[in-house]
Amino acid sequence: MKAIRRPRPQVWFLLPAAALYGAFFILPTLASYWLALYDWSGLGPIGSFIGLGNFKRVFQDAEFRSAALHNVWIFLALALMTNTLTLFLAILLDRKSWLRGPYRAIIFLPYVLSPVVTGFIFEILLSPNIGVVNPGLEAVGLGSLQHEWLADPSTALWAIVIALAWQWNALATVIFMAGLQNVPPEMKEAAVTDGATTWKVFRHVTLPYLAPAFTVVNVLLAIFAFRAFDLVYVIGGAIGAPNGATLVMGTVIYGNAFGKGSYVDTTRMSYAMAEGIVLFLVLGIIAAILLVYLARRERRVY
Amino acid sequence: MIAPIYFLVLGSFKSVEEFFAAPFGLPAHFGLDNYRRAWTEASISTTIRNSAIVTFCSVVVSTVVSCLASYSIARLPLRGSLFWRLLFVGGLIVPVQLIMVAIFIIMRWIGLLGTLGSLILVYSTFGIPLGVLVLVGFFQALPKELTEAATLDGATDFQTFMRIVMPLSLAPILTVVILNGVWMWNDFFIPLVLSTRPNVETLPLGILNFFGVYSTEWGLIFASVVLSALPVVALYLLMTRRFIAGMTAGSVKG
Repeated sequence: MKAIRRPRPQVWFLLPAAALYGAFFILPTLASYWLALYDWSGLGPIGSFIGLGNFKRVFQDAEFRSAALHNVWIFLALALMTNTLTLFLAILLDRKSWLRGPYRAIIFLPYVLSPVVTGFIFEILLSPNIGVVNPGLEAVGLGSLQHEWLADPSTALWAIVIALAWQWNALATVIFMAGLQNVPPEMKEAAVTDGATTWKVFRHVTLPYLAPAFTVVNVLLAIFAFRAFDLVYVIGGAIGAPNGATLVMGTVIYGNAFGKGSYVDTTRMSYAMAEGIVLFLVLGIIAAILLVYLARRERRVY
Repeated sequence: MIAPIYFLVLGSFKSVEEFFAAPFGLPAHFGLDNYRRAWTEASISTTIRNSAIVTFCSVVVSTVVSCLASYSIARLPLRGSLFWRLLFVGGLIVPVQLIMVAIFIIMRWIGLLGTLGSLILVYSTFGIPLGVLVLVGFFQALPKELTEAATLDGATDFQTFMRIVMPLSLAPILTVVILNGVWMWNDFFIPLVLSTRPNVETLPLGILNFFGVYSTEWGLIFASVVLSALPVVALYLLMTRRFIAGMTAGSVKG
């Protein structure tokens, strides 16, 4: 019966996806690892083989290190907010009420807006000319705090953190709310009948059931914070305006690969690929550590 | 949460003088002047068409190939199905910044740089990991009896897939379409790298470039930003539940 060797149907099912994925995902990924070993600007013939030279330079590169530090700050600031304020917000919104649906829809809205839209909104709010933050401070009697938020290197990164927080908060709240659905109401009722205070119910009933949601939220946050590019690029550009204060790893890689937007640009594509690989490894290590730590914690609290 | 969006919409109706005179106030009248000018001067008429073509084609291609591949991984006697599954889904964690440098080089090499086709190819590919993630899980959960009965009646794998499996899978397919479609419509990084000619710019990229040129025509910029967000927001308001369910399902597993 099966004398003729023809590809069986399952291969035809797989083929279109495998072909696209091979050509525009696997091939470029492998090419990146290979080209990162060369000294090549991206134009003309491929330069000389320098082994791990690019990687050595990445670790000594002051610009890349300062950008990586900005990623760390973004991650820590958002982690602090997520695990306190966002959680609190999710618990508030979890109460049974006809407003829960509409609230949830509003909370999630920032997540469906494009980074260009979000970046623009925050640039405008903080603008010294037409913004509403400075006039707002004036109106409540804090006029002395008025500031050129995005032009001052000491505040620009924090302005970006706030914009990222606005977008991130949307997803984190919804995941926490989904986690809260898993807390059996009988457990809470039983605790209350036994005379537990609100805090004790939260600490010993709600929190343990939320452990899986904590894991998901914090691992996703690591990916969000270390891969940040879009919003940061819209506000600070590839030069990390002002003066490199808003550079993150993603924008440094883009700037090295495609130029920083000035006319005398030189590109360093191989070097950018080495930086990209370092970012990938850093993210992988951080996500793995978080995952192991939080999974252990999950088992402990249950 | 909602205040920034309020100022954005309000600002899209204001004239430049009104921004200075009354930062919190309402505009004098709700005319559509800013919108009309944005449509032509920000070349939104071109970029919105490019975005629509690219998003539509990429959603269709990536969804179709993901459905086929997921079905073979989940239900057909495919050798190494776990390997294929991990290979596709693993794409979710690779940083786009890294891979786009090599894609730029490949597109320049095959002469597709600066065409809508290059965008469609890349988006179609990058949509596969999420498609496989959602659909393999769904197909595996379908009862085996359904497909076995069809096979016994003499249907080929493709007929079973089209007539039995597809009609039952509309909900997860819609999730994939929404998640990928919103991302493709909003993304500007891939066109930033590949759209090397102005006539193939997509909507977000066109607006980003417009900021630089018209940096003081705020009303105009506000209007173009609102226009770009309108289709997705309208879709979101119509289908809030499916959006949120899809986004949390996609992210929880990813």
